[in-house]
Amino acid sequence: MSASRHARRRRALRLARIWGGVLACAVFLFPVFWMVLTSFKESRDIFTSPPKLFFTPTIATYTSYLRFADVPGRMWNTVVVAAGSGLISIVAGSMAGYALARVPLKGARTIGTLMLLSRGVPPIALAVPMFLVARNLGLTDKHITLILAYCTFLIPYVMWLMRGFFQALPKELEESATIDGCSRFGAFFRIIVPISLPGLLSTFIFSMILAWEELLFALVLTNRDAVTVPVAVASIASDMLTGVNWGALCAVGTITVLPVVVFALAVQKWLIKGLADGATKG
Amino acid sequence: MTPGPRRSRRMERLADTLSRWGFMAPAFLILAAVLAYPILYTLEISFSELDLGTFMPSEWVGWDNYETVLEDERFWHSMKVTGIYLAFAMPLQMVLGFAIAFLVNADWRGRGVIRALFLIPMVIAPVVAGGLWRMLLDPLWGISNWFLGLVGIGPLDWFGDSTLAMATIVLIDTWRWTPFVTLIATAGLLSLPRDVFEAAEIDGANWWVMLRHVTLPLLVPIMAAAFVVRWLGAVKMFDIVLASTLGGPGRATNVINLFIYQEAFRGLKFAESAAMSVVVLVITMALTAVFLRGSRLLEQRY
Repeated sequence: MSASRHARRRRALRLARIWGGVLACAVFLFPVFWMVLTSFKESRDIFTSPPKLFFTPTIATYTSYLRFADVPGRMWNTVVVAAGSGLISIVAGSMAGYALARVPLKGARTIGTLMLLSRGVPPIALAVPMFLVARNLGLTDKHITLILAYCTFLIPYVMWLMRGFFQALPKELEESATIDGCSRFGAFFRIIVPISLPGLLSTFIFSMILAWEELLFALVLTNRDAVTVPVAVASIASDMLTGVNWGALCAVGTITVLPVVVFALAVQKWLIKGLADGATKG
Repeated sequence: MTPGPRRSRRMERLADTLSRWGFMAPAFLILAAVLAYPILYTLEISFSELDLGTFMPSEWVGWDNYETVLEDERFWHSMKVTGIYLAFAMPLQMVLGFAIAFLVNADWRGRGVIRALFLIPMVIAPVVAGGLWRMLLDPLWGISNWFLGLVGIGPLDWFGDSTLAMATIVLIDTWRWTPFVTLIATAGLLSLPRDVFEAAEIDGANWWVMLRHVTLPLLVPIMAAAFVVRWLGAVKMFDIVLASTLGGPGRATNVINLFIYQEAFRGLKFAESAAMSVVVLVITMALTAVFLRGSRLLEQRY
């Protein structure tokens, strides 16, 4: 009797969880859905009450706005900066993460704590001096400046994620490598790196996503040639004079988001594992 | 005349040390140049007068900039605004994040899809999130007010009223970041040892005992970790405010990062901004250290 009631209650709870999860998902995804939908509307379909769900779709916003605001050029800047800073960070960060995880180093604990703390440095505290230095060196509005600026938060991030990853690897790996006569670097590059490739790749992709979305440094350090997409989005969104061009905002937003979502979904298994491991094994 | 072995041993030890630090060197050098040096430079600027002709610090003025800043009520206002935002957004996101993690981890066929879809809001650029929500919440044409109108609420002026504008910021931020907390919580929930629960259930523990003595102690370290990670992101709040309220109405949502940004790059008050950055940096670092410490202690206790 009581056992069957217990079972019934369990089943009800399970159903409630499933439907609750689906509902939460729908609520969280609706804004994105609405953005994509709006990007295909003409402005007379945007400014309606009640809002229109069905309309004749058009790609006019994309074609007109993309040409007008040089979105392809800004996309290119963003790709260059994201890839460059991602690459530097994954190389430097994973080596340092490995050092913290596996190499006996005096003061490694202090460095580890400092590195965790450095993730709390507000970017604005770096933006002011960086702008002044870059200006005096004639380095504003250049890709390399943004790439280096993004390293400030990407390298500690990669270090922290990869340290957790390397700590979880079996110790025998390097031991057998040293017996085979490999140097420390040899062991790292020939044995550890190939084994860690999935983790390295997902960390690299996540670093690129972080760089792709960055706004503050991009606002401060670029003004024309190296402007990135988030800056373009910000300038559309903060256009208080003529009112926000919603169609443009949604079109550029969709273009910004699309590659990231594709990437994130492609590596989601590793992303979930890597991120969560990194977070919980701080 | 046989210093050979000894020297070679010393050389070996040197080579060993070099190879060990070699792993650390690239990251160390880059971070020294782009992280440590700018922080020191900020310190220097904060004690100087900045010559706008050369964009270099010119004269040492001691604590003057700090005095100006600490007497500026706008600075304190922005600190207060940031505090209010953190006090509401962080607990809300933690609770929602863990609750949703509990929901999406129900064991069924669609679990993988749901979990993957939940990643989407957290990879939307914050600046896009801000702009997008500005559209959804538009008092005239936004779909939110239309929905609320259906159930007889509103129309709400999400960006016009100062209390509501703060709520708006918390709402957008919660939308963007809750999935992140959910993700960490999911991983944590999955790593919980199943046999402990089964044993407790066999022992006839009721749900309260289970929650209090089994689930909570196991979850506390994960919650602490999620809190620290979320904190590290939340103190950098900038993009969403810039793209949605721009600090308004008035200064109601002018979080400290936005305020410093405006003072520096709109008002060209670099020295005062540097002083403010230093104050914020010190407070953030201190709190981060406290939270890290706290989460370590919690981890040890449970």
